[in-house]
Amino acid sequence: MSHSFPELVVDGVLIAPLVTYGIAALVMFLALRPVLHFIRFASLFSHPSIAELSVYVMILGLLTVLF
Amino acid sequence: MQYRGRYEGGSYRPVTSPTVLGPPRFAGLPVVSWAFAFRIWIAVVVALCAAFWLQLEAASSAATSVAILAAPTRGQVLQKASFRFLATVVGAAAAIALVGAFSQTRDLLLLAFATWVGLCVYAAVLADGNRAYAAVLSGYSVALMAIDQIDAPNTVFEASMARGAAITVGIVAIAVVNDLFAAPDKHHGLAQQLAALHRRARDYAHTIVHRQATDPAEAAALLRDIAALHPDITTLAPESSSGKMRTAAARSVAVALVAQIHAARTAQSRAFWQRDAQVLEGLEALEASVWPKQSWRIPYYRSQRLAAHAGARAALWIGLSSVVFVLAGWPAAAASLGVVTVVVGLGAITPNPRRFTELAVFALPVAAGLVGVLEFLVLDGVTEFKLLALAIAPFMIGAALLTTLANPLLASVGRLLLIFTLVIFHPSNPQSYDPQSFLDTSLFACLGAALLLAAQLLIPPVSDERRRQWLMASARRELERGPSRLSRRYSSEEAMFRDAVRIGQITATGAPAPVLEEALSLFDRAGLNRLEEKA
Repeated sequence: MSHSFPELVVDGVLIAPLVTYGIAALVMFLALRPVLHFIRFASLFSHPSIAELSVYVMILGLLTVLF
Repeated sequence: MQYRGRYEGGSYRPVTSPTVLGPPRFAGLPVVSWAFAFRIWIAVVVALCAAFWLQLEAASSAATSVAILAAPTRGQVLQKASFRFLATVVGAAAAIALVGAFSQTRDLLLLAFATWVGLCVYAAVLADGNRAYAAVLSGYSVALMAIDQIDAPNTVFEASMARGAAITVGIVAIAVVNDLFAAPDKHHGLAQQLAALHRRARDYAHTIVHRQATDPAEAAALLRDIAALHPDITTLAPESSSGKMRTAAARSVAVALVAQIHAARTAQSRAFWQRDAQVLEGLEALEASVWPKQSWRIPYYRSQRLAAHAGARAALWIGLSSVVFVLAGWPAAAASLGVVTVVVGLGAITPNPRRFTELAVFALPVAAGLVGVLEFLVLDGVTEFKLLALAIAPFMIGAALLTTLANPLLASVGRLLLIFTLVIFHPSNPQSYDPQSFLDTSLFACLGAALLLAAQLLIPPVSDERRRQWLMASARRELERGPSRLSRRYSSEEAMFRDAVRIGQITATGAPAPVLEEALSLFDRAGLNRLEEKA
């Protein structure tokens, strides 16, 4: 059975599911940032920017699969 | 005692040989500049590819977004991107509201549009950095969304959505490319800049102690350079998960540096060394990415009078240009008015708007010539995306390299070429390769800039001398009124930083030594009054 994606409708304007997932993942990622700082996430990697981008992509992927 | 060298762990280590050799260079330019230029080219190609794949109507706006967001560090790009997105939403709402209210009355629509741009320029002059950019973008977005559709007002909503989608694609493209290609973070460079300013502050104090009298230009330049870091400090927050702590640390260093200079000028030896310790603590906190012991805000000095005059002039320039376009009845007048508004907006966030327009008058024909070469000599009917990506490489990389040069004139020309080349080229799928359309776009873009220059000659921007008089009058007035009013909002150190911002603005007007001397004397007295009130 194929996974259906919920479509957000704002006052009659349809918004693509990917946009909803992207915004939700961004909010979750921003909420996670103090935790990442607390565990000194940036110091674990040679390129912290790529590591943080990967965390964002993982959250986005999980949201897409689970919801 | 020497303070030259590199800041490390609370002290300055002597400069070692690798530092003296300088950064690696290729073809006379630093490798970091080449890396930046290649990142911009790759981001433009990725943005165009994604926009074509998604079949966006305004695909070229995605590439233009990347060109506008081209900044060397990640934090600057991310902060500018978020402000660009917010400003586009505000601009779209204003466009829909204006068209909804005045769709049947062209003249009233243009009047309301000129007033809106004036309001946005007013807000931009009250801020700096990317906040100011967001304010002017809210203004000129209306030109690109509503005025461009003046003959078909029912399509404004679709045009706004198309532009919003393309801008989002551009933002995502440059953010991902910067992350994957490890674009540098700002905090390393900022820490070095702050450490260099700290050395200058100590040298300045050393000069005062030994010579008793100093050149006012030296102190004013020092305060101006510290205050000039205000927009850069705010870009540290979006860089990483430690960004907020680094911002707080950089803020505390900047405020402590201003207070240290004040202590040196007013001969408070004990306070000077207390401030020195605060600067070192802040630099250590910045390096370790932890919260500083002392946290200060960095208030920005806002001149309401200057902002009101700048806003009124911007509205008049737009109004005058609109009258000419209405009377002339040219076919592509809406696009030309769009160019006028963009140049008014971007010029408002530079120290000299007329100089910016002159640069645009020079850069637009050059950009049109480059697009002519690209479209009709290099590509000449090509439809493959790979060839398009390769063909735009020298134009994008060349313009991006120009933006990295130390010469501000060449850097501004590079920035304008990067943006205007993409605006005139207007990449689409399929590309039209229509010589008439290219000539019309180029001609009306150049005409718009020339018309704005004529309007600015008729109604000149606020002169440096008047700006200087207003800023000095405000400093005198605040000293006469006493510190109570400001003390309610800011601590004495924060208020000193705000005064330093104003001294930076006075210095930018090319103030002579006696004026600088008076400005510094007002800074000293106001600071002492606040410290006395606090005690």
